[in-house]
Amino acid sequence: MYYLQLFINGIVAGGVYALFAVGLTMVYSVFRFINFAHGELIAWGAYGVLLFASPPFSLPLWLSVFPAILLVIAIALLQNHMVFAPLRNSQPVTLLIASIGLSFLLRSGLQLYFGSDLHSYQTSFYESIDLGGLMISYVQLAMLCLSILFFVILHLLLSKTLTGKSMRAVSDSMELAGIYGIPTRKVSVFVWIISAVFAASGGFLLALDTSLDPMMGLTFMIKSFAAVLLGGVGNVWGALLGGLCIGIIENMGTAFISPGYKDLTAFVLIIVILLFRPQGILGSTIRGVR
Amino acid sequence: MKKIVCTVLLCLFAGTAVAGTVKIGAVQPLSGKISVYGEGFQRAINLAVEEVNNAGGIKGQDLEIVYEDNLSTAQGSVSALQKLISIEKLPVVIGPAASSNFLATCPIAEREKTVFIGAESAASDISTCGSYVFRVFPSDMLQGIGVAKLAEELDYKEVALTYINNDWGVGLANAFKEKYKGKIVEEFTYDEGKADYRSEILRLKKNNPAAVVNLTYIKEGGTMLKQAHEMKFNPQWLLGSAAKSPKLVELAGEAAEGIIGTYPTFSKTSGLYEHYKTAFAKKYPDEKLPIFGEYNYDMIHLLAKALNNADALTSDSIRASLISASQGFEGVTGDLSFDENGDVGASYGRWSVKDGKIIEN
Amino acid sequence: MEYLLHIGIVCLIYILFASSLNLELGCAGLYNFGHVGFFAIGSYTTALLTLSGYSVWFGLLAAMLVAGLSGLIFSWPVLRLTGDYFGIASLAFAEMVRLFLLNERWLTRGPMGLPGIPRVEILGYSGNTVTLLTALVITVVSLFCFKKILTSPFGRTLKLIREDEHVARAFGKDVVSFKTRTMAIGSAFGGLAGGLWAHYLGYISPNDFSLQLTVLVLLCVVLGGRGTLLGPIVGAVLVVSVGEGLRFLPLPASMTAGVAHIQSMLFGLVLILLMLRRPQGIIAESHLIQET
Repeated sequence: MYYLQLFINGIVAGGVYALFAVGLTMVYSVFRFINFAHGELIAWGAYGVLLFASPPFSLPLWLSVFPAILLVIAIALLQNHMVFAPLRNSQPVTLLIASIGLSFLLRSGLQLYFGSDLHSYQTSFYESIDLGGLMISYVQLAMLCLSILFFVILHLLLSKTLTGKSMRAVSDSMELAGIYGIPTRKVSVFVWIISAVFAASGGFLLALDTSLDPMMGLTFMIKSFAAVLLGGVGNVWGALLGGLCIGIIENMGTAFISPGYKDLTAFVLIIVILLFRPQGILGSTIRGVR
Repeated sequence: MKKIVCTVLLCLFAGTAVAGTVKIGAVQPLSGKISVYGEGFQRAINLAVEEVNNAGGIKGQDLEIVYEDNLSTAQGSVSALQKLISIEKLPVVIGPAASSNFLATCPIAEREKTVFIGAESAASDISTCGSYVFRVFPSDMLQGIGVAKLAEELDYKEVALTYINNDWGVGLANAFKEKYKGKIVEEFTYDEGKADYRSEILRLKKNNPAAVVNLTYIKEGGTMLKQAHEMKFNPQWLLGSAAKSPKLVELAGEAAEGIIGTYPTFSKTSGLYEHYKTAFAKKYPDEKLPIFGEYNYDMIHLLAKALNNADALTSDSIRASLISASQGFEGVTGDLSFDENGDVGASYGRWSVKDGKIIEN
Repeated sequence: MEYLLHIGIVCLIYILFASSLNLELGCAGLYNFGHVGFFAIGSYTTALLTLSGYSVWFGLLAAMLVAGLSGLIFSWPVLRLTGDYFGIASLAFAEMVRLFLLNERWLTRGPMGLPGIPRVEILGYSGNTVTLLTALVITVVSLFCFKKILTSPFGRTLKLIREDEHVARAFGKDVVSFKTRTMAIGSAFGGLAGGLWAHYLGYISPNDFSLQLTVLVLLCVVLGGRGTLLGPIVGAVLVVSVGEGLRFLPLPASMTAGVAHIQSMLFGLVLILLMLRRPQGIIAESHLIQET
């Protein structure tokens, strides 16, 4: 029972990693760089809700989620327009450094406006469902359901719509896609919107579960990227699988070794898996070897 | 790039002193990991400075604090202190929060013979820093013992011990383990700044202890209490002083009900405390009383007294005057007499949460 | 002027640290995001040795050796990975080092850190001037080594590998062996920088060696110019002096709470603008390979 509960905790934690990993993996597959500022989209999502839920807007919490998501989309598109689109033909490391700069800019902006003080939404649903000794809280359940829902929607978007198909083509090769007349600019806008929506709603759920903190995004960013690599870059289902793997293993690990080493289990796992399957679990061999 | 270099050079020469003020330096975490605390300290310090100046300042001149950000890092602290000592040439500097940052800087203060005073660093190593180093905050040796006494007074023969994996948590836990005579059924550390502590809580729950000693900070404590409550794990939580904040109650909500903690106590009924509370509320109507704010407030008043008594504004005479000024000095936080290590004593009280309020007894 | 000495020492240590990363990142194209791990290993090695009575010089030497050896052991299996995969593995490595230092309290005192690390002492003098001179000598000698490496056949092969691994293989170069050796050398010098750091500050704790430092040193290399000898030097000096220079901005006292945030916003903005305008860094690399 104890281990089963740990397993469930792992799945929920993994679901959150996966939500953030999707944005990273999609940006990575099109632009080929690690977006360090992704963590800040997460934080802005969470704080955006706080912004619209408090005066002068004073919207109810669930309603503030929508303007908050719009706000984050606006930030993401602005990033794309001002920084990443002009740099899209540069080396990945240039984009990486630019995203580190953006991350500083956005995070400090957040601290300037909201202060470094801790915030919380001050909601009070603490109920958890008791399944014969197994506990799962409503927030956890909501996180899990939302992750699944988002992944299903994303899957449909990618496989059924034209933009989704173009996105996959661009991620295979931007040059070829360009030659075939696929609107790469439209694709990158699409990628940023998806990335922002996932980050903002994940950030909101995370803050609902715990508290708001300007640094909240950064901690999740690294593990989310690990999830991306674990699952195979550019592969949306891989991101889900990678996220779940990391979540489950690090939570199961706390039973056996000191929780001070909780992060270590995840990192050891990354190195081991990368050694035996460098292309990630679901990655295609061609790209991994390249 | 040229422009940046020019600006930097300009600024190098721009920072000259304004006449008619007595300046002391302060290395504070204004950005970075623990800036949450830094902002509160700053408010308490500014309040005290305002009071000192309204009461005539230092020998007729205004007291002014020169803040330097330490980015919450050791390197930042060293840079900030070096600047305050050698550029601003200040004889007195207020040390940074977080014992690790304080420990990184105190050898420099000692070497440069600068009076260095801290209001919130608890590590027991600080006692041996040197003769120019003081703190108005009790060493964590005392506080760990305080928590052990609390557990024994409440008659818990078995506890689970868990603590945040930083200098404060480990320092307290070590002192606790030395003093506590009962059985520790489970002991582990957990990382700072995580969002999800459910698996750690499960590990506690497995042993089903009646009481859990959790030496934690505000954010981590709030998260843990809330998540434990969700998981229907409700032992008696015993906490330290760093979690004693209305913010914790706000984060944890009803899950914080009934927790008990220790804290270095002082009389809350004294006129001084009432005065501090009302003055703070008047100056910062929107802010809650900051954690350890009283210590910062006291430190400034003590420093003002020492500066006023000092023969000259040099570090050596301030140091001597600080030691003599502290003897029998009654601040909000009680008697601040420094011992030979520059430490203050403390008595420990209990705090608990009832009906969403922190109650001290 | 103790403050200037302090900035000088920090600059020199950053120069050494950034240059050692430049060897890996700039010359061999290895995206090592875990360089701080080796810095930490160096720091703790010399700190632990000198605290148990060995001399500072022995400590520094051991710091180099242990860090270099860890670089070798780490990279031997991991170097079969390419590009970002290697990057994330190295990031994980650095975090593993930090967690080890944080949790193995019997050895490292965990988060309590190691206080009282002896300072560099020559003929009984141990002030900041002595530390500065020592750091200067060590950094100059190391830079000289880097120069030798860069211009040697070994360095040219590294650049070839960076530009095109397949061509290097076709020339019969053992790519993994070259990369492994680079990692060992880079890590050794990174460890040396860490050792100097420990002896300068006199106190180290695991949380000093976080991702933040990795980002900062990466910045030094990229800002200055990858793959050049001068680049990391310029980058390190700029990063340190701009960071310190921001302390001198004359701003009203009432704004102090916000100043720190405005500072780091500016820092971010400078980075973005630099990448948009001059992504190759301040010192651009001349294309040796294309010419020869």
